[in-house]
Amino acid sequence: MYQYDQFDHAMVAARNAEFKDQVARRLSGELSEDQFKPLRLMNGLYLQLHAYMLRIAVPYGVLSSRQMRTFAHIARTYDRDFGHFTTRQNIQFNWIKLADTPQILEELAAVEMHAIQTSGNCIRNTTTDQFAGAAKDELDDPRPWAELIRQWSTFHPEFTFLPRKFKIAITGATRDRAAIRVHDIGLQLTANGFDVYVGGGMGRTPHLGHLIKSGVPGEKLLSYLEAALRVYNRYGRRDNIYKARIKILVSALGPQEYARQVEEEWATLDQAQIDAPHAEIARIKSFFPQPNYADKAFDAAAIERAKAADPGFARWMRNNTLAHRRDDHVSVTISLKPTGMPPGDASSAQMDAMADAADAFGYGELRVSHEQNVILPHVAKADLYELYRQLDQNGLSSANVGKITDMIACPGLDYCSLANARAIPLAQDISNRFADEGLTDKIGDLQIKISGCINACGHHHVGHIGILGVDKQGEEFYQILLGGRADEKAALGVITGKGLSAEAVPAALERLVNLYLELRTDETERFIDTVGRLGREAFAGALHEPA
Amino acid sequence: MKLLTANRLTDGLVLWYAGGSDLSGWTEDAANATRLEDEAAAALLEEWKARETEVVGVYVVPLVDENTLVKREYVREHVRANGPTIGQTALDTARQHQRGEVF
Ligand code: HEM
Ligand code: SF4
Repeated sequence: MYQYDQFDHAMVAARNAEFKDQVARRLSGELSEDQFKPLRLMNGLYLQLHAYMLRIAVPYGVLSSRQMRTFAHIARTYDRDFGHFTTRQNIQFNWIKLADTPQILEELAAVEMHAIQTSGNCIRNTTTDQFAGAAKDELDDPRPWAELIRQWSTFHPEFTFLPRKFKIAITGATRDRAAIRVHDIGLQLTANGFDVYVGGGMGRTPHLGHLIKSGVPGEKLLSYLEAALRVYNRYGRRDNIYKARIKILVSALGPQEYARQVEEEWATLDQAQIDAPHAEIARIKSFFPQPNYADKAFDAAAIERAKAADPGFARWMRNNTLAHRRDDHVSVTISLKPTGMPPGDASSAQMDAMADAADAFGYGELRVSHEQNVILPHVAKADLYELYRQLDQNGLSSANVGKITDMIACPGLDYCSLANARAIPLAQDISNRFADEGLTDKIGDLQIKISGCINACGHHHVGHIGILGVDKQGEEFYQILLGGRADEKAALGVITGKGLSAEAVPAALERLVNLYLELRTDETERFIDTVGRLGREAFAGALHEPA
Repeated sequence: MKLLTANRLTDGLVLWYAGGSDLSGWTEDAANATRLEDEAAAALLEEWKARETEVVGVYVVPLVDENTLVKREYVREHVRANGPTIGQTALDTARQHQRGEVF
């Protein structure tokens, strides 16, 4: 895990002291709201519909049990006993008091966390594969590179006021679990260095990133990124917020021309000044060792017996575990999508329970996934049943990972002041509609992603089924997109059929799913593959009630 | 007919104007919000916009009649007046104020 050095500690402490003073001056009236708003946003504090919201960065989704316990403490002490894990692998608290914020930031700093650069037109938290360092299909661990980018981008003076926000994602595995093609810059680690994709993004004009360079060596990554950002910083559209993202620039110039300009800029840079020396990269890598694996002999027959005796465990084993680089371990996903609950929410007791589980069975490590779940990356197979039972006692054993009820949903109009429609209640209705576990398993892998407005925080463009909330003269309507995916075969979904009312959506999805079950070649053909084979049009009719 | 609403500076919570000249004249319970005539609402809006150490984001909510929100803003204002509609939040506004939903 990353470790703050003395500079990091000093930087965060200085920023917290500064913000504490700014809060005091705001409360006394010395600062107006107009003066204060950009300052609080620089520290992750938004004002939403009901209250202040604090967004805390979880660097590339990596958390220690101690940090998770701090979240539990914040939820319990300063919020309404829960927090919301987000699609950017961060956490948001929805009911924070302005006056409490300096104290909360101090408590976060004590566990090497902060809310800096979680808002504003800067480089945001780099995201990555939640199974980094653990997955069997991984070529190289993306975390040290994400950490390198974090150190480079934090307080980078040239990139603090970019034309618009900037998001980078990295994957080191053959399966893309980090959605790199819908990020401003997506990095794919290969045996020959980095493949660099540029100009992806969602929002009102979604784009998939274009490959502009292959094989950037790790030791040259920062200078290449610096060149890529410089070109954007220079030519990005500052005159129009809707055209300010890099995706617009890249599509206006064309990826080849953009790549050429980056190359030109790169050649002019003093690369040695920017790139981390080999020893520094080695030092960062040393922060991410493999855990001290316990050699616990596991008895495959005992696991089979437990599965036979406890069908819930069997299902959880099937759906919530992923092959690990070591044969005697697996990665476990703790689903934060129990039936009928808001996707991504966890209570303080559940956060503590996840921290306890990490300490008892997961070497103290946790991850947040962009699917809004929490992961124990390394669990000995010998411990699985014990872990399952412990999670089950805390309402954390939902066995639906990757299934239709494992939805992404943004806060929507229940919290967000930009929203056009609610997202969470719709997710809850869908979750209740598909609560039957037998049915969910039969349907297989299917990703539903819901956003409450065109900003696309809920990734609706890349859901197998995407749902976009719109406002039609004061009523909430939902447009359904089909065919999107965020993996290595990334594709943007397309709006299919007419907008539906909230009440109509669950039944429409049921018709859609039934049609899929009818049309699929067999159970190995996933929903997204059937849509790919037959075309979206084949499914459009099912979305609407037969006349 | 109108309501005046804002968020309290210190904790950000939603407030409704219920008469009086200081912050104690605002209520967290939308059911108790004063129904204002248009001119009164406009004057209070100007006054409270300037009182930034007390409230932020002051604005006027138009009503069709005493208990009916204008349709265009219905969902947003309903959510603001009643809290998130998602069941689980510790905020169960109605229970907190011992009443049913408003609007
Ligand atoms: C205070 C609440 C929020 C506000 C004001 C907000 C605002 C925005 C805006 C304006 C955009 C569009 C940016 C653009 O296209 O240029 C956006 C995109 C996005 N936001 Fe949010 N958001 C909020 C909450 C969230 C949450 C809770 C998440 C995670 C669950 C999130 C994740 C994202 C993602 C993934 C995108 C799309 C990717 C991109 O193109 O940047 N946001 N957000
Ligand atoms: S998609 Fe829209 S409604 Fe949802 S969190 Fe983002 S800005 Fe808010």
